Amino acid sequence: MAYFNGGSRAVVDILSKLRNVEKPVPVDHSFCELGSIRYHIQVLESDQENIFFSISTPRLSQDEPNPNGLADFILQDIKTKYLNFADIIQPPKEGYKLTLKLNFSKLTRTKDHTKAINMVSSLHVAILNSQLKDTLKNVWMGDIIQGSTMPIKLVNHKQEPFFVLRAPKKITVIFPMRFKDESDVILATSFFQELADLGSKFPKAPHCEWSPIPPQELRGEHFENLSTNGGFVSFGIFKRHVKGKKADKTAWILLNFQQYVRYHVKCTKGFIQRRMRYRLEVLSEEIEQARIGGEAKIRKESTKQRKTWLRFSNSKKMKRGIKAFADQIKRLRLRIKIRGLGRLHRYFFHVPKFPALGWHAKLD
Amino acid sequence: MLTGTWQPVRINSLLPDSHFASSVYLRPSLFQIASPLHSTSVPPSSRSPRLNWSEQIDTGSSVVNLLSISKDSTMANTIRLYLTCIRNTLEAAMCLQNFPCQEVERHNKPEVELNTSPELIMNPDLICRNEAEKCLIETPINSIRISMKVKQADELENILAKKFLRFLSMRAEAFQVLRRKPVQGYDISFLITNYHCEEMHKHKLIDFIVQFMEDIDKEISELKLSVNTRGRLVATEFLKQFI
Repeated sequence: MAYFNGGSRAVVDILSKLRNVEKPVPVDHSFCELGSIRYHIQVLESDQENIFFSISTPRLSQDEPNPNGLADFILQDIKTKYLNFADIIQPPKEGYKLTLKLNFSKLTRTKDHTKAINMVSSLHVAILNSQLKDTLKNVWMGDIIQGSTMPIKLVNHKQEPFFVLRAPKKITVIFPMRFKDESDVILATSFFQELADLGSKFPKAPHCEWSPIPPQELRGEHFENLSTNGGFVSFGIFKRHVKGKKADKTAWILLNFQQYVRYHVKCTKGFIQRRMRYRLEVLSEEIEQARIGGEAKIRKESTKQRKTWLRFSNSKKMKRGIKAFADQIKRLRLRIKIRGLGRLHRYFFHVPKFPALGWHAKLD
Repeated sequence: MLTGTWQPVRINSLLPDSHFASSVYLRPSLFQIASPLHSTSVPPSSRSPRLNWSEQIDTGSSVVNLLSISKDSTMANTIRLYLTCIRNTLEAAMCLQNFPCQEVERHNKPEVELNTSPELIMNPDLICRNEAEKCLIETPINSIRISMKVKQADELENILAKKFLRFLSMRAEAFQVLRRKPVQGYDISFLITNYHCEEMHKHKLIDFIVQFMEDIDKEISELKLSVNTRGRLVATEFLKQFI
């Protein structure tokens, strides 16, 4: 699904331009994406071959050991994946969690170069996925008290926390949903109900539940975390969902679930708007017809349109095009002539003659 | 009166209270009875014992509820009857003429909006399909105001109807006869003046109003279905990501 392809287009654009530029120039780009991910791309005048790429991602959990940098296991992960063209610079640039020195000169093939750029654009995905996978692993190994562990609060986007807690044989991820508009709440609620109803059709997918009130597992949390207008959506994640390569995908989908719901609500509102505009046009045509002389006006307009078409069909270009097409059909007919199948031949390869539209017969 | 089947009934005093005659008619599905009476309100003897008179508006008009529907009638039948009743009421009520304002010299205003001269305003008609759907038709001498309340079965239909009707009201200039703000208690209102009747065919105007009501209902139902279908498709694609 295109929404969950997490690469940053801006990063891809900038790195592609730097690669294609004829004369290297010094570059210093800072920009922000998705409200919380900051990038900095720098090319020094003295060192044109290397690109310094810095990134800062939001803190998922308040309990992170190193709030100003990344944990060692994440750095190890990145080192192994980006070995061919990137080196980690310690300490990272001020204000950022990670700085990489990129050197694409070893990658001679265009395909490898493009792949490398795409990997760099998905760096924030790798970092956030690693953080969430580590949190899930800790939760999995945590002690179960009274049927579940204490919920851990994670924050991917601003003011949109979600909770992770362990239940027997599974991990439950709970999303409190908040919307600004009343109509958004109702559209999202119908979506959540469909999501919950489809659980039986997809037994391999995580089990999904929706409730308008906070679930029992979140009792004891702060009131501000539990005050919502869109209810609570819970996913039950089993071991099969985080096995091998699926772990990255599952983590990324969970991290972006709230944004995905907002995107769906926005698209639905756009669809409703398009339908309303269409209906408005239809109804305003009807009231025009009610006018005295309204029908004649509509007939005039349709005649004008027909005249425009006639002028177009009479033009020399159109005639040449039609002639060429008819010649092609005739050539096909000549090639595919089969003895004894004259009727079939006439039926399938007959070029119909269209009556002249608006052309007048010449009087002798 | 037909037995076993309740029909929509409209009681209409076309002329103001000061006048002598008013007309009452019942329109069963097969035939029409028109009987002029010599009083402004319907005498008890001519009322059907089976009909329930449910609401009375302060101005003295009568309201009929389609409360008892026979087992054989379907939803389509009731909406047909409801729309036919509205159409017939509009055909009878849309007799407008130019009437200058009595309050302000050289001004010409729709009396239904001004509401200062009670002698110019007829008794309004309220036609109810059920408790949720109704249509109020107010007819003074030079204008007619038609206010409608649209069916809203659940929250989703509620917001769809609200959005759609607000969308149309904001673009009222495209319709000319649409009021920018609906009358309180209703979802959408039309204001037709004598000038509109001069510029447009009366029967087409009535066709438009009735078609509008049908289209609104249909559009809201289709929108609701589309929204639910979209939700289901999106949810399916979302869950497929995990497989």
